[in-house]
Amino acid sequence: MNRRMESNLMRLLHGELPPEEARDLRARIERDPALREEYRRLRATWEGLSLPPSAPVPPGFAQRIAARTRTEQAGLSWSLAPGWVRATAAAALVIGAAVGIGVGEIWPLGETKPAAVTQEADPQTVETAEAIDGSLAEGYWTAMDELDGSETEEALP
Amino acid sequence: MGADLPTDPGWDALARTARGDTGAFTGLVEAHQERLLRLCERLLGDPEEARDAAQEVFLKAFRKAGEVRPLGQVYTWLYRIAMNLCLNKLRRRKLVRFLRFETDPEEPDAPAFDPPDAAPDPASALESRRRWQATRKAIAKLPDNQRAVLILARFEGLSYRQIAEVLGITEGAVESRLFRAMRRIEAIEGREDAQEKGAPRVSRTEGKR
Repeated sequence: MNRRMESNLMRLLHGELPPEEARDLRARIERDPALREEYRRLRATWEGLSLPPSAPVPPGFAQRIAARTRTEQAGLSWSLAPGWVRATAAAALVIGAAVGIGVGEIWPLGETKPAAVTQEADPQTVETAEAIDGSLAEGYWTAMDELDGSETEEALP
Repeated sequence: MGADLPTDPGWDALARTARGDTGAFTGLVEAHQERLLRLCERLLGDPEEARDAAQEVFLKAFRKAGEVRPLGQVYTWLYRIAMNLCLNKLRRRKLVRFLRFETDPEEPDAPAFDPPDAAPDPASALESRRRWQATRKAIAKLPDNQRAVLILARFEGLSYRQIAEVLGITEGAVESRLFRAMRRIEAIEGREDAQEKGAPRVSRTEGKR
């Protein structure tokens, strides 16, 4: 049996042949035992295929999808918002982040604020600090002078 | 097998969906959920997976509502999305099995859904179940492209033209895949019969072509 005849048998089975062609082919099947056998077998296979009824639609199926689409719709409306709205929101986000970083730089997490910032300085403490500062500075310059003098002497021939 | 009408009200529902009317989309889901779930179940052979797949199909349709061109029937467009999704799932399933070295891929003996017996007597009910099982087993052994065509033709009642539209192939390809699927099923059933009778494994079609 040629390919064309095979496809015509299949078309006949599936109801795809125009009525006139279907009538001609049926007449030919009646006349030709080999063709008749081929068609009988094909038809038995086709009609033998059977599947159970499918499971019923689960309750609330459409409503669950509706809920998902509403969520998506909310996301979609944001992406479809005018450019200036999205730009303003983005700018606000950047400024907020920058301010946050700045505050973090000034007062890092886990560190206490300096006492001088939060409290009024005790006059006695200030005096002591100044005295220490003064003596340290004096000591530093004395040491530097001594160092300069020795170096100069050593360097001279 | 309805003729392709350009005035399918589903297109209008999709247009309204694209304009933000989610209620219109819910109506579309209600109109097509049964056939979509059935198709996914027949392709995947598992009601749980079919439910997830059908939900995914509708969500994809929702996202594409603004892009789709209203041609033919809405359900053929939905079928196309379902087909692509289910065939991808089947491919992934095969890949996973291959990576796990599993041998019997389709588990055709495990009934996907156990429906109540509609047949009047126990003998008929038993016979129906035997046929369902044999059909599932045979379909599971078909290559994906033949399985898709056979299910659309035999169980969804689509014409060659509609199947071609759903699968994005020519009518000639539909015809050829369907015929090959039939031959293969004959061969599978022939082997099963021979095994049941204890005869050597010769198919009914072997030696004929």
